[in-house]
Amino acid sequence: MAVDFGPLPQLIVSGILTGLLFALISVGLTLIFGVMDVVNFAHGEFLMLAMYATFGAGLIGLNPILALPVVALLMFLVGAIVYRVLIRRLLAGPPSAVVFGTFGLLVFLQGAAQFLFTSDYRSVPNPPFQGTLHLGSINLGEAQIVAGLGALVLTAFVFAFVEYTEPGRALRALSEDRVAAQLMGIDVQRMNAFAFGLGIACAGAAGALLMLTYQAYPRVGTEFALTAFVVVALGGFGSVQGALVGAVLVGLVEVLGGFYISPALKMIPVYVLYLLVVLVRPQGLLGRR
Amino acid sequence: MSVRSHVAALAAVSAALIALALGYHNPFILDLVFTGLIFAVLGQSWNWISGYAGQISFGHALFFGCGAYAAALFAVHHGSPWLALVGGAVVAAVLAVLVGFPCFALRGHYFSIATIAVAAIAEITASNADVLGKANGFEMPILAPSLAALQFTDKGQYVLVALGLFVIAQLATVGLERSRLGYYLRAIRQNQEAAASVGIDARLAKLVTYAGCGALAALAGALYAQQTLYVGPEDTLGLPISISIALVGVVGGLSTVWGPALGAFVYVVLARYGGAMLGGSGRGLDLVLYGALILLIVSLQPDGLAGFARFVRRRGTAASS
Repeated sequence: MAVDFGPLPQLIVSGILTGLLFALISVGLTLIFGVMDVVNFAHGEFLMLAMYATFGAGLIGLNPILALPVVALLMFLVGAIVYRVLIRRLLAGPPSAVVFGTFGLLVFLQGAAQFLFTSDYRSVPNPPFQGTLHLGSINLGEAQIVAGLGALVLTAFVFAFVEYTEPGRALRALSEDRVAAQLMGIDVQRMNAFAFGLGIACAGAAGALLMLTYQAYPRVGTEFALTAFVVVALGGFGSVQGALVGAVLVGLVEVLGGFYISPALKMIPVYVLYLLVVLVRPQGLLGRR
Repeated sequence: MSVRSHVAALAAVSAALIALALGYHNPFILDLVFTGLIFAVLGQSWNWISGYAGQISFGHALFFGCGAYAAALFAVHHGSPWLALVGGAVVAAVLAVLVGFPCFALRGHYFSIATIAVAAIAEITASNADVLGKANGFEMPILAPSLAALQFTDKGQYVLVALGLFVIAQLATVGLERSRLGYYLRAIRQNQEAAASVGIDARLAKLVTYAGCGALAALAGALYAQQTLYVGPEDTLGLPISISIALVGVVGGLSTVWGPALGAFVYVVLARYGGAMLGGSGRGLDLVLYGALILLIVSLQPDGLAGFARFVRRRGTAASS
């Protein structure tokens, strides 16, 4: 069987752009895990809520890019409130409480979306960036470029925030040693709520960008959340840089697998990659032991 | 509860359901009871590995689907459905060992996500493999109703067969609780290092349990397929099915004999009045209620509904003494 390498440049660029969106979603997941050891099984459902919010903004004439800051801020508040009301309680229980609690949240939010919005697919009316860019043999939708680059900028922003600001340092301190951080006067509950809000805001921003090219429906989050779990496992749970590298890798695997194997089977290499990484290198590609 | 009271409770439940199956011919209610029993068995299977052994699985549909596909394959190739039950259970047990052997090295969320990944791989494979009927799945041929064909005109008879499986699952669980394996599993859940240090082979204990889980869930899947006579990838292997099974287990209460049955009862009642049944996409109100119930239980009473019952009983005995 001859393999056609002609479309390869196109596939690579497309895979990277897809991966950048995964990065923004995964950074939120990894941040929450790093700071408070919570694997948020409802992460995709927050993404789904943000997509519906962006759709709603579209109905009143706000395009996804303009809606993004509002949606992200809204999701930050939602995240902080969910932490205060629910996650904080779960952290006081046995370790399985967090898994079951965020799982219950997943079921609740998915059911609520189905009840309120039905299972119809919704896309933003009159979406912007409908043109196509031609770069030699590469053809890319403008919306895809804007979404990918937007996600890159925001991921870099989150990275810089965690790396170079005072609250970011506090978050890193918490993820390294909770007790020591507490002794240094860091208010754990406040920083946890902040980190949860920030993580959900990342999913929120990604949801707004996704609406440039994608549709909202109640189960849309599960698909992305699974990918985000793979990305975070690849990059090492808790590592922001790892999430970026893992996301681009997963984006490439998905797009190349979809083309060279079959679109219907594109997720199999991604899941196999997860199993291989967690079994062979559980600390992730970039993670430390 | 003592063995005697478990058996007495099981006898009472069975007697009530047999009376219902033979005397009450409302197909709708009987359908509900049948689905409830199937879910009670699935929840029990989940409870063995995720409750007693503490390895939380979000991919249990893998085994349910395995049984359902066995039933469909035997039916379309004119095999006996009873052989399909055995075949599905054996394949599921082997699959459980193959998946469990590497994956039981994983802890906590790594294991849970791995179960999702494996079930997703199975679903995608079934949706694309010719021998497994691709995305359309299988319509099973309708045969002359008989016990040999495991097809009946009366819904009550399906209830009786499912009840038989339920009784087996309950008795097996009572046995498990009192067996050496049962103590090993609880020790592993509490602290795997400590369990290993007293000579428990944690991986072997989990593998044996997982194989049993797989076989039990596959039996439930095959019976379910015999009743619906349709088997498709999304309806038997999809993530929503895995989620439903875990729901039943969590809501009823982990590591209890009667928790899964209680969870299944709540599940079918909510599903009935919230709209959606297995694989269907109703209005989603049942999911809202279920999700809310889990959140309440996990944040207030991590032992599930059965934990509430224990709590109330303890309060009662404390007050009377």
